[in-house]
Amino acid sequence: MKIHVKSYLTDRENFLPAVAFCVAVFGPVAFFSRRITGVGLNAFYPAAWSAFTALAAFFIFYTRRVSFYRRIFFSGLALSFLVHFKLSLLSKIFDSSCFKDTPFCHIAIASSFFNYMYQQYLALMSGDWRLWGPLSLAFAWLFFTLVIGRAWCSWACFYGGIDDGLSSLPKKALVKTGALAGKFRDFPAALLIFLLLISLAYMLPVYCLWLCPLKMTSAFLDPGDALIRKVQLGLMLFALVILLAGPLLTKKRTFCSFLCPFGAWQAFWGRLNPFRVVVDEGKCNACWECFDSCPMFAIRAGHDGKPEVSAYCNLCGECLAACPSGGLRYSVFGMKVGDVKTGFGRLLNPESFLVFSALVTGGTFGALFAPAALKDIFDILLRIATSY
Amino acid sequence: MLSILSEGFILGLSTGFYCLTSCLPALVPYLLSEGDKVWKTNFDIFLEFLSGRFIAYFLFAVVSTLIGKAYKPYLPHWVAPLAMLLTAIAMLAFLFTSRGGHPGKGCAMQFSPFYKRIPLALGFMTGINVCPPFIAAFVRLVELSDMTAGMFYFTGFFTATSILILPAIAPTPFMNDRLKNIGRMTLAIAGVWYLLLGIKGLAAAL
Repeated sequence: MKIHVKSYLTDRENFLPAVAFCVAVFGPVAFFSRRITGVGLNAFYPAAWSAFTALAAFFIFYTRRVSFYRRIFFSGLALSFLVHFKLSLLSKIFDSSCFKDTPFCHIAIASSFFNYMYQQYLALMSGDWRLWGPLSLAFAWLFFTLVIGRAWCSWACFYGGIDDGLSSLPKKALVKTGALAGKFRDFPAALLIFLLLISLAYMLPVYCLWLCPLKMTSAFLDPGDALIRKVQLGLMLFALVILLAGPLLTKKRTFCSFLCPFGAWQAFWGRLNPFRVVVDEGKCNACWECFDSCPMFAIRAGHDGKPEVSAYCNLCGECLAACPSGGLRYSVFGMKVGDVKTGFGRLLNPESFLVFSALVTGGTFGALFAPAALKDIFDILLRIATSY
Repeated sequence: MLSILSEGFILGLSTGFYCLTSCLPALVPYLLSEGDKVWKTNFDIFLEFLSGRFIAYFLFAVVSTLIGKAYKPYLPHWVAPLAMLLTAIAMLAFLFTSRGGHPGKGCAMQFSPFYKRIPLALGFMTGINVCPPFIAAFVRLVELSDMTAGMFYFTGFFTATSILILPAIAPTPFMNDRLKNIGRMTLAIAGVWYLLLGIKGLAAAL
């Protein structure tokens, strides 16, 4: 390990470009984080979060280990969400009645999209659209989709961060998932179609009320019906098991692959985004290391017997790290552009553009809860320290 | 009678959105799983579904008129959950008896094609699935208490709501085996959902 560290630190050709890259990421994340957190929170917390994001950028660029450092950032983002959200529930900051309307969560955008459209229609008809606009949320989603597309699921989603972090913990998969992947990989698409229709039918965010594992608390359950409450609790528990136990047993992102409607939604709309992972036919020797390493079951056999990257790819970079011959790379619309190996020229590679876009998006989105989570942790530690 | 017909039509057009939400969860998964790239096949399914709805509406027109004549303007509470339960049974029975359309892979039971009119059954059962616009139409018919007027009223109502359901067949020309498989999974989820709500509703009503 010492040798590695030494060799990294002596890689002078990439040090300054990595610093430049780090500063380029820090700037917008710090600006937006401060804007998002506002004056209610000490400036230290958004600055710390921005520094964390920028450090991830530095190490990704400097070491070229995209997936490894991405995962650290991504898991940090997810953990901070869990901390803040769950602590908020304990302190009753969240009003459970807000979940009777469609919540402003990216998972809900997909499954309640028709509801948003209908509500926006009503808002437009009432002439009050500027005060209340789910359409603005749709624009935000469209913007992020154009910027990072499917990469959202591996760089910014708090569900994904939990699934991804846990899937990296076991050394070996205890349960093989090959057959399951083929049969049920499209299940999220089926769930999405059902949820779109049924959420509209009942004018309720059905996914959030019935299946969201992060809301595992009785506050959101149907108070009027014991049977429905039990079913809701059972389904949430099932989703929680898929989210937590699934990745630990299979080393795959089971929740994202088999239960997340937003994953299916983004797989469809993500085609709008230019970033892709492509197989270099000349370098690929069909060893299928990428297939085994892909946590999203997004690599399948192509017509020529070589791997083919499907629309479910989240651009996490795991396959790039696993390929022994360097046969996979990030690209823009599959074109072979910008493959500079060292120096400042690397800043113009598709990989750098993707990592920059993804980290700025993830960092900005994370600013909604990560700085507050840092404060929560700091407050708890302070309370513990002062109590002794 | 023309004014009664247009009254039903206007009601259907203005409130048909709600019909859409109760019909689409049954129709769309079926269209995805059994539809084809050929428009005609999909349109046949759609027409069969509409026929089921029409029969249900027709029946409802008769029942509402009779209820109106008997001065008992209410419906039993078990009608809607029973319709839901039957919809669920039809959906799940279809899935179990025809696994992906591959002969030999499904359930061993062989049914006459007459009994496999699933879109007709789904249309009928979503037709009797009481939704808010339906109740509005029901109240008006009870007030009218006239069989012929009831028929005209529901014909108008049916036509208008059918126009709103028509876009459901728009994406089916993009059908392929993968989408059909997704449709079958959606059908299974929707079937279980209706089953649960049907049982719950019946338990509460009885």
